[in-house]
Amino acid sequence: MDLMDKFTVLRERQQELADDGADPTRVVMERLLSATEAIVDGRRTILAGTNNYLGLTFDPECIAAGQAALAEQGTGTTGSRMANGNYQGHGALERELAEFYGVPHAMVFSTGYSANLGTLAALVGQDDCVLLDADAHASLYDGCRMTGADIYRFKHNDPDSLEKRLRRLGDRSSRTLVVTEGLFSVLGDEAPLAEIAEVTGRFGAYLFVDEAHSLGGYGEHGRGVAEAAGVLDQVDFVVGTFSKSLGATGGYCVSRHDVLSLFRFASRPYIFTASPCPSVVATTRVALRHVRERPELKTRLWDNARALHQGLCDLGLTLGADASPVVAVRFAEKPRALATWRRLLELGVYTNLMLPPASPDGSSLLRCSASAAHTPEQIGCIVEAFRRAVADTDEAD
Amino acid sequence: MKADQSEIEAEITRILAAFLEKPPVLTGATDLVADLDLESVQVMEFVVEVEDHYDIAIDLESLSNVHTISELAAVVARSLD
Repeated sequence: MDLMDKFTVLRERQQELADDGADPTRVVMERLLSATEAIVDGRRTILAGTNNYLGLTFDPECIAAGQAALAEQGTGTTGSRMANGNYQGHGALERELAEFYGVPHAMVFSTGYSANLGTLAALVGQDDCVLLDADAHASLYDGCRMTGADIYRFKHNDPDSLEKRLRRLGDRSSRTLVVTEGLFSVLGDEAPLAEIAEVTGRFGAYLFVDEAHSLGGYGEHGRGVAEAAGVLDQVDFVVGTFSKSLGATGGYCVSRHDVLSLFRFASRPYIFTASPCPSVVATTRVALRHVRERPELKTRLWDNARALHQGLCDLGLTLGADASPVVAVRFAEKPRALATWRRLLELGVYTNLMLPPASPDGSSLLRCSASAAHTPEQIGCIVEAFRRAVADTDEAD
Repeated sequence: MKADQSEIEAEITRILAAFLEKPPVLTGATDLVADLDLESVQVMEFVVEVEDHYDIAIDLESLSNVHTISELAAVVARSLD
């Protein structure tokens, strides 16, 4: 057995995708035209799978703030905040996030992935327990594995399953962290956070919610699904990302618990990573202001999300969940999903291809994400492309 | 009372047969992934069924080396002890 042997299966799978002409990792955005369009393979292509929910990646104010920060503060911080010190923007962004959520504490990380790793690894330790939604994002699984705690899964979005497991833990429930997401990223289904918060609180456990895909799109102020469910004050730790609705990169955790400020000394993914670069911090701060001051972005996002969901529903396609900014089309067979994804790209629509084991229930999916920047005409084009792609692949069978 | 692993194995086999649409012949040596071609998410769903049946919680670490029905039965037996 050779060190490299483990890659044999991966190499075969990659080759299969390449032979099918459906390898998403080889798609190149040759030129970005806007938040919702790019040139792909020489063709004008509507971007229907970018998580650019509020469409802020080309926002003029964000770009101006980023350019100014680049000119004034340089391209990067070249090290961690522990070693190299803080830039003024780091603290300012943390204060603004805390204010946005109405809590005293916030901490910024360099990516959303490291926000989950860094928060979980600092918060949970050996002899503690984690109860994790079975469909949770890989970063949550990875973060939980870093803790050394006992990790148990509960059935996806099932408060009864959570309750059973909390009951089985007995006295250990008071040192248990329940980990879930606000909006699940693949199927676009919303967590029943009111019920989950109630069960968690009843057993004296703590609640951690990743709002990566719901920031800006849910709740009166855009704080996420917990706000929409009226239980934000019952969530102990909210984690999110700057890389979706805020159009940048980075992540954060906010909390009412003052231990969050101590995570800076305990969180290895925070301590041993270069801090977010000034231009990213600058664009994120402006984007967060847009979430607060431009509620019309959320309205447009939802108008587009509902139109896309309804349009695909009307085609008779099987969708992953009720209307949300994430619309996932299910395919019973993997070859059909591959062929439809490839045909959509030929027709000028980019979506996310998700195959087992990356998909949550073993099905093959074409995942779309609506954006506030999509025009109604673009939404119509996406739906029409799906109609043609599905028909074309039907004929090819 | 110490849990009888052979009884647990038989019960888990019954749960698995009900879980699968077209169950093949199942034995203690049946590998959940290699023999049944289950995706990891389906294995997880099956384990949740087993947990609920016995009213136990099995942590992920305990499952990391479980491949067969017998190995899962051993983990369940330890949880019940």
